[in-house]
Amino acid sequence: MKNQQKKAKSAKAKSDAQGRRLFYCIVPFIILSFLFAYFPLHGWIYAFFDYKPPLKLSQCEFVGWKWFATLFANKTQVSQMVQVLKNTFAMSFLGILTSILPIGFAIFLNEIKSTKFKNAVQTLTTLPNFISWVLVYSVAFSLFTDSGMVNTLLQQWGIITTPIKFLDSDAHTWLWMALWNLWKGLGWGAIMYIAAIAGIDAELYEAAKVDGANRFQVMKNITLPALMPTFFVLLMMSVANFLNNGMDQYYVFQNSFNKEHIQVLDLYVYNIGMTGSSLSLATAISMLKSIVSVTLLVVVNFVSKKTRGESII
Amino acid sequence: MKKKLVSILLCACLTASALLSGCGSNGGGEQGASADGGGEGSSDGKYSEFITVDVFDTLANYQGTQSGWFAKAVKDRFNMELNIISPNVAGGGDTLFQTRSAAGNLGDLIISGTDNGRFKDMVAAGLLMDMTDLLKDKDVAKNYGTAIAKANELAGQDGTWGVPSEISVQSPEVSLDGIEPMVAPYVRWDAYKAAGYPEMKNLDDFIPAMKAMQEKVPQSDSGKQTYAISLFKDWDGNMMVGAKNFASLYGYNELGFVLSKADGSDMQDIIDKDGYYVKSLEFLFKANQEGLVDPESTTQNYDILSNKYRDGQILTSLWSYQGPSLYNAVDNKAEGKGFKPAMIGDMSPFSNGCYSTGNSKTVICIGSQCKDPERMADFIDWLYSSEGMEISGQANGAGGPEGLAWELKDGKAALTEFGQKALHGEKVDVPEEWGGGEWTDGVSALNFKACALVDQDPKTNEPYMASMWSSMLAENTTPLDTDWETYADGAKTTIEWLENKNALSVAPGASYTPPEESSDITTLRNQCKAVIVDSSWKMVFAKDQAEFDSVLKEMQETVKGLGYEEVLKLDMENAKAEADARAQAVKDFNSSANADAGEKTE
Repeated sequence: MKNQQKKAKSAKAKSDAQGRRLFYCIVPFIILSFLFAYFPLHGWIYAFFDYKPPLKLSQCEFVGWKWFATLFANKTQVSQMVQVLKNTFAMSFLGILTSILPIGFAIFLNEIKSTKFKNAVQTLTTLPNFISWVLVYSVAFSLFTDSGMVNTLLQQWGIITTPIKFLDSDAHTWLWMALWNLWKGLGWGAIMYIAAIAGIDAELYEAAKVDGANRFQVMKNITLPALMPTFFVLLMMSVANFLNNGMDQYYVFQNSFNKEHIQVLDLYVYNIGMTGSSLSLATAISMLKSIVSVTLLVVVNFVSKKTRGESII
Repeated sequence: MKKKLVSILLCACLTASALLSGCGSNGGGEQGASADGGGEGSSDGKYSEFITVDVFDTLANYQGTQSGWFAKAVKDRFNMELNIISPNVAGGGDTLFQTRSAAGNLGDLIISGTDNGRFKDMVAAGLLMDMTDLLKDKDVAKNYGTAIAKANELAGQDGTWGVPSEISVQSPEVSLDGIEPMVAPYVRWDAYKAAGYPEMKNLDDFIPAMKAMQEKVPQSDSGKQTYAISLFKDWDGNMMVGAKNFASLYGYNELGFVLSKADGSDMQDIIDKDGYYVKSLEFLFKANQEGLVDPESTTQNYDILSNKYRDGQILTSLWSYQGPSLYNAVDNKAEGKGFKPAMIGDMSPFSNGCYSTGNSKTVICIGSQCKDPERMADFIDWLYSSEGMEISGQANGAGGPEGLAWELKDGKAALTEFGQKALHGEKVDVPEEWGGGEWTDGVSALNFKACALVDQDPKTNEPYMASMWSSMLAENTTPLDTDWETYADGAKTTIEWLENKNALSVAPGASYTPPEESSDITTLRNQCKAVIVDSSWKMVFAKDQAEFDSVLKEMQETVKGLGYEEVLKLDMENAKAEADARAQAVKDFNSSANADAGEKTE
């Protein structure tokens, strides 16, 4: 009896020690995430002051919820905000809609037998992800301006007489932006799926082949279902990031002509906050954004729990 | 186990270094620099320790260490080098100012604008040093005491916190622009000549004239299609700069959302349908309908446009530093090609007058964390001296170092052989004893005008600005110059010609800075100006008159909905205050001039 107790005790001590060790391992990351994710939140306080650099916060006036109210001060303000949100939602929605394309790309790429060709395609499609949007814009600029390559060629071939305005028109702005995004992100987005495909049990394929399944049946019945969990996790994360569709892309592509439809929330915050030096207002908007994002994440997680039985947070 | 330990240690090291590298950048540069330059000291032996001075300069268009002949001039006199921190280069609007001021140290020397209460805020935030004792015995305080006192009224506290720029001893009614006003209708003279010098009674006549010019010179030097007008968006602020310039042709300048006339007789709301701004937009719209506006205007930036000017692709220019200075190279002028101003019958270009009490819109200050304020004060004093103006003012057209670029000949300033090349834009290498390197790289990157360049240099009894020297004016003998002089009834310079025609609107130079506005107004202003600028571009490139009108109407409704009236009311008040200040400046100058004259007669 005593012996048994002793044994249990030592086992407990052992697991305690191991637990402690594991805990120490994650301590740096806890500190880091605290430093970089939670500590900056104290900056939210700026939303409640009339902050004017270079004055210190203590020298500025406390204004309470004024900046939040400003956003909805009158009809025009609200309609501007609505337009910005419309753009944000539209672009995010298009982004989510096109997020199935990398799956297809990964599946078909996987079917290519020639390794050399496969690798070449994968490298070439992944590469654009590493090009900054500023450079992408300069490429777009040389291709699509009035004296750019596309217009010059079309004019020389006699297809058009006056240059087409690709960059400085408001036609199909959302679609154009989605296409640029797709071009840049397709290969990169497929990496995750290619990795997932590599993890699928080869026996499944063999069994299917023995049962007489053709290539497309294998894709449909084995590869695709195996990719679904990955897809859903990514989908949920992108839904949570619905309002965070970045700003660099829209920043470089924006001009007076397309601004009405290109100005997403982040860009709006930048345009009126940073360049207009209304830092307090910008903080207020981003606070609202964080709240909406967290709400969306919770909702999506709830839906996921109900429908698929697993949660992601 | 060992491997694990090593990897954990590595991780820890990386994290620590990543965390630490963000901090502690203060002073690092100074230490590093003092090591390599030690020993020599300044020429008068006053400063034995070599230092690097951080200059926060909102006027600079270059970031980094000043090099070349200006660096050498500074090093010889003060045994220091200038590390220029430029918000213009860094971009992102006010971000650099905000982050540096949050750290409590803008720099050792600060050259900054003062608008919207910035000067007061910098003083209140403890970023500036009181220079009263430092400047007490200096020439700058003796010569320009009134101007300094006047500018420091803005500081909100007693003390000398900054020295205003562009101080002048001339009347506020004398143009500050030297030989060329800020804005004038410069045209490619060869094209204008080929079109038969079409007479232009008003702005509308400019369109057929431009059309004729575009037909006569259809191709640029490199064979590209020419356009009469080309615009860019980089500098758009409260409104579209390209359109505002046409209002400036008629003597108006912007103050927020108001266009106010130089003599204070008229103040216009820019979105008013009958105002000059909307008229200018309509003019550009009509020009675009005629195919005179470069379609790439909407996407290009200033640099791309500058290259087009260099190539001769654009046939008109409203700014002297665009068309004329980029295209009027020696070779082009010899061929009879170049920009010269043409007359539009009813125009009266805007020009700033001399600031007899200094331009307090830009001040130079010493940072509160500065380690060697004594030396900074000496440096500021030097900038305002005759020699300082010649050397540092070269960035804005002064002669440069005496002996290298110019010399006294029969008591008059004249360019040396070296100066002939350097000041006319040729690539020349500076001799080693003057600092070496290429001439243009050595020009002062401070871009700060201490005194007015049109004021007289006591050394030469001629203006600091080299292009105004009698020796320089006598050189303008190319066919281009002589042809234009005939057209201009013998006038030598644009300013002289406009003055003869009584067609120059000089806004008396007054030390006026709009007061600080509340954050609500600033926010509203930013929202409104985005709408105004975007709509302006849409209007210029509208398909037809109906679209032009509908965008105009939509713009007026949107900005009014946002709260435009409130901002406009404030701008109108400021514009009136500015006009009053201008009138007062003239009065003050005349009365003090009379008093001086009275003293002399006694």
